[in-house]
Amino acid sequence: MQWVDAVVQGVLLGGLYAQYAIGMALMFGVMRIVNIAHGDFIILLGLIGISIATAWGLGSAGLILLLVPLGALIGWLLQHSVLNKVIGTDPIPSLIATFGLSIALQNFMLQIWSADTRSLSGGTLSVASVSLGPIHAGVLPVIVLACAVLLTGGLDLVLRYTAFGRGLRASAADHNAATLSGVNTKEVYALATAIAVGILGMAAVFQAMRTTIAPPDGGAQLIYAFEAVIIGGMGSIWGAFTGSMILGVAQVVGFRIDPGWGILLGHIVFLIVLAARPQGLMSRG
Amino acid sequence: MEAPVTHPSVTVQRQTTSSKAALTLAALIVLTIPTMPFWASGGYIRWAVELSCLIAIAQMWNLLAGYAGLLSVGQQAFIGAGGYALFVLAGKLGVNPFAAVILSVGLPFVLAIPFYLLLKRLDGPYFAIGTWVVAEALRLLTSNISYVNGGGGLSLRVMAEYSQHQRAIGITILSAVLLLLTVGGTYWLLRSRHGLALTAMRDDPVAAESQGVNVARLRFLIYIAAAAGTGLAGAVYYMAQLRITPESGFDPYWASICIFVVMVGGIGRIEGAIIGALVYFFATRFFGQYGATYLIVLGLLTMFMALYAPGGIWSLLTKIRDWPWFPTARLLVRNR
Repeated sequence: MQWVDAVVQGVLLGGLYAQYAIGMALMFGVMRIVNIAHGDFIILLGLIGISIATAWGLGSAGLILLLVPLGALIGWLLQHSVLNKVIGTDPIPSLIATFGLSIALQNFMLQIWSADTRSLSGGTLSVASVSLGPIHAGVLPVIVLACAVLLTGGLDLVLRYTAFGRGLRASAADHNAATLSGVNTKEVYALATAIAVGILGMAAVFQAMRTTIAPPDGGAQLIYAFEAVIIGGMGSIWGAFTGSMILGVAQVVGFRIDPGWGILLGHIVFLIVLAARPQGLMSRG
Repeated sequence: MEAPVTHPSVTVQRQTTSSKAALTLAALIVLTIPTMPFWASGGYIRWAVELSCLIAIAQMWNLLAGYAGLLSVGQQAFIGAGGYALFVLAGKLGVNPFAAVILSVGLPFVLAIPFYLLLKRLDGPYFAIGTWVVAEALRLLTSNISYVNGGGGLSLRVMAEYSQHQRAIGITILSAVLLLLTVGGTYWLLRSRHGLALTAMRDDPVAAESQGVNVARLRFLIYIAAAAGTGLAGAVYYMAQLRITPESGFDPYWASICIFVVMVGGIGRIEGAIIGALVYFFATRFFGQYGATYLIVLGLLTMFMALYAPGGIWSLLTKIRDWPWFPTARLLVRNR
């Protein structure tokens, strides 16, 4: 029963990772770009959220309503001021640019918020739990997972059925042909990045409520998002979601075996998938 | 009858005045470093060792990212592996520490083969983050191995058997060998037959492939060579430090250093990595005290270079005057 519980807790943890991963899958699928500062944005938005919550006494729902538009704005600005300049067949410039941004952001946060770990108090929400037979689950992790499902499903529908989604898929398939057909690819890209970073606004609040955050933590979050995307299958939003679940389960099971092995088992599962099924578990290829 | 095609008489020129001067200077520096224990203070020797390691690590990253197009943010895997191999060989197995530094190259070399076979499945930017995951996995694995004292790390106690002077002689010789192998080796490689293929690959991998360059095999070889060179630098660096922990040996900050040094100096040029290493080394000596603010500037500068000056300082310098130090091109000069 201990292991069933570990799997349940892993899936719930995966709900948080999914919120990091779907934005990354979206950006890579559309632009072949990986934003190395992806994890640092989670931490930045989380720290801003904690400061606002302390200053204005805003609740978690209010924070999400504030941080999601802020994240979207950051993403939109990032695309227009940096990423649009380095998009191309060569992946190196975009990686280097966002890598530099990541170092600058981390140290900027250290300067403002110091290296202390902080967290967001969720009030009664963080201690409430529901039970299903012998399995107990926190209400907050369940909400996180539900939000992840809604976000993934919503994003998938947007990509399939809206004009923006069509433009996005067209730009991903052939940048030049999409431009010729009247798609404003730069604006489509900016919207994609705005969505990716906007989701992080919600993820940041949940992350700060579930655990603690500190300025140097961004790298780890980037790696989890990346592992989830690769495990699930590149370019697929539901693939990233599934990958997040698998990664979460691997980490929680690892922690139960030995606290030193939690994160490591996640890495090992990632490497096994890379060796056995490099196209990812959900990919049709 | 057609007139025979007459070829103008030309010679292939591979050195310039500036390069002859630079080569002489480089040879002098490599020969001078091992004499330092006889005239320089301990502080300067430490500078020389650290700078040699920095140049070596940057040059290996430059070969990898600049020529082979393999962007790695996980070279710390090999720095840590080289360092740990030294500490185990010399500290646990009783191998002479100076010989152990050379033997330590074996571990990063052996690790690089499966790493590359796994990571090559990842596309462009994902390859980069994959290298980071591998380095993180190695760090966590090392922290869990009690034979190497887990997260507590190891000290190189055997060095106490040697006097300060003997240690200085050993480590300066090793630093000179390191420079010779990494910088000299890169220069030799780029001027060899493979150099043409590598330069073609740097400029356009697809076109290079169509001209008969085996891009996949060349990338594999470069990845392994860079791992070995980086590992050697790690072994030399941690021999000077006398202490290694998983947190320091596998620190992702090593990747930041590689990227900063090569991007600021000039990617895809031997001179670029050297200039970048000098800039970083002295900037850190003078501005390192500003801590986070200094690193914010480094990060923004890296981003700025990627956006507006992808050729780095070296390409700005060559715009003023073309004076290669380590030319790899072949110049055709018409005979008069």
